[in-house]
Amino acid sequence: MILVGIAVTVLGFVISLLSLGMAASVNGRLVMVMTGLAVSLFGIIGLINRTYLRNPIWKR
Amino acid sequence: MKQSLVQAAVLLALTVGVFGQTSAPATPTAQPAAVPAKPITDTDLKSVDTPKPEERAKGDPEGSLTGTAADVAVSDAKRGLTIADLVNQAGQNKIAINFVWTLVTGYLVMFMQLGFALLETGLARAKNANHTMMMNIAVYGIGMLAYWMIGFSLQMGGVGAIANLGGTPPLSAEYTFNLFGKPFGVFGQNGFFLMHNGTNDVAVMVLFLFQMVFMDTAATIPTGAAVERWKFSAFAISSFVFAAFVYPLYANWAWGGGWLSNLGANFGLGKGYVDFAGSGVVHAVGGLSALAIAMVLGPRIGKYNRQGKPQAILAHDLVLVITGCLILAFGWFGFNPGSTLGASTNGNLRIGAIAVNTMLASAAGMMSAMFYMWTMYGKPDASMTGNGFLAGLVAITAPCAFVNPVGAVIIGLIAGVLVCVAVAFFERVMKIDDPVGAVSVHGVCGIWGVISVGLLADGRSNFGGAWNGVNGSVRGLFYGDPGQFVAQLIGVSTLIGVVFSASLVLYLVVDVFAGQRASAKSELEGLDLPEMGALAYPEFDLTSRGVEV
Repeated sequence: MILVGIAVTVLGFVISLLSLGMAASVNGRLVMVMTGLAVSLFGIIGLINRTYLRNPIWKR
Repeated sequence: MKQSLVQAAVLLALTVGVFGQTSAPATPTAQPAAVPAKPITDTDLKSVDTPKPEERAKGDPEGSLTGTAADVAVSDAKRGLTIADLVNQAGQNKIAINFVWTLVTGYLVMFMQLGFALLETGLARAKNANHTMMMNIAVYGIGMLAYWMIGFSLQMGGVGAIANLGGTPPLSAEYTFNLFGKPFGVFGQNGFFLMHNGTNDVAVMVLFLFQMVFMDTAATIPTGAAVERWKFSAFAISSFVFAAFVYPLYANWAWGGGWLSNLGANFGLGKGYVDFAGSGVVHAVGGLSALAIAMVLGPRIGKYNRQGKPQAILAHDLVLVITGCLILAFGWFGFNPGSTLGASTNGNLRIGAIAVNTMLASAAGMMSAMFYMWTMYGKPDASMTGNGFLAGLVAITAPCAFVNPVGAVIIGLIAGVLVCVAVAFFERVMKIDDPVGAVSVHGVCGIWGVISVGLLADGRSNFGGAWNGVNGSVRGLFYGDPGQFVAQLIGVSTLIGVVFSASLVLYLVVDVFAGQRASAKSELEGLDLPEMGALAYPEFDLTSRGVEV
């Protein structure tokens, strides 16, 4: 699951990068970059961190 | 002496004449005919008066005989002083000023290593003091050698000529590929071991020293989040790879002529990604890497109870903590103003404004964090006041050259509150144990600093008329350039998406082969004896035996 989280985090960056080629206007790029940031944060907080919290040290 | 008397007499006569005219009725006078300017020749220089050897032999207590035309280096003794000699001397003076400025500010940044060491050690428990200090000194050596061998080349090997340092022509090979029809620079290729392709060069050496201490600042940051449980061998391997690859790649994209810096020239986004002294390149890179290692290591034993509720683990020496913060703030006067890479020409006289912005933001960050904690928890917490101080400094690092003093205070005020909120978020919501608040101070406030350039840059700075190859001054969203804001956000997305992910992969790989976390037995005993073989405070340990220290 951690590898999936890393993949999603990188995917967020890819979305931001694609804004340079797929959107011509500043507003269009802004929307894509914000989407990319949200995806990356989901990867870190929603997937990677959640996976680590499934078996934390204080429950062992 | 005779010439000086004549000059004084002429000056006196002119002064009397001027006052005489102002007291007498004004009378129309004929304008003197314009005399064509006569170019100065080498012959004119022969009559320049210089102190005689017998005068110099008597000493110069007034300082009026030292530093004259006699000190200008002459290329041909037979011809004597020439215009060419003067012009060459002026050029060398400019570069000498910039070399000295960059080196001295680099030494200040190196001194920050002590600040980090004291801050982290003070916030750790006494039983881990030796281990924490050792990480802080070892990262300097490990990081420097990795950067010398590989990292500097990847970062700056294709940066091209840096005019402030007299040009750095050997650093001319950037690896690029085409994407969306534009060149994307990804890493430099010259400068391995500071010997490769002519990089044994005086200007390259100055640049290396300055960039090396910046890299080392970033490499130190993860040690704060990993304190009290990071196995020393794993720390050494991880730090080497971080300094050789992770840091230099992002630094190349932002500072080494890479693709982020060219977002303006290639895609019309403001002046490209702008990060003057490294809120993103240094602090966010270090802070996000700290987040990755804190996740891999997990919390310290005892940080959370069985229900997952965070427990306070007290700092062992708040005096060290505050001393460390003040040393860091002192070093920041090298970090930010030094990033001009010079004090002469190309708008570098903004060093005063940069220094003032730096100190204003630090004060604002400290005050807002102190009052936030006072209001929310009833006391002005010392460690969080120190963290607010650093948060303001971290946040102003990227925008310090592009905002006005009011903007600097706004940036600092927001950073001070942000760091307090972020520390609580990571501890309570994400349940990440970050003993020194490195992720919040450097990661979160570093990202805020990058974003603040895109909001508050006022368009009044002028470093040689252009930035990142785009004419004009850096201007944020509130001053009319939304493209700059987007460029900054792309930089943030790269930090989170690439730097964090690369760091996590690095730490996971090292974890598989070497194991990142010290054993539970060592952790409970304290890492000083099991990992380092010596206690930091042996007498203190004896008097406190049987007590949790």
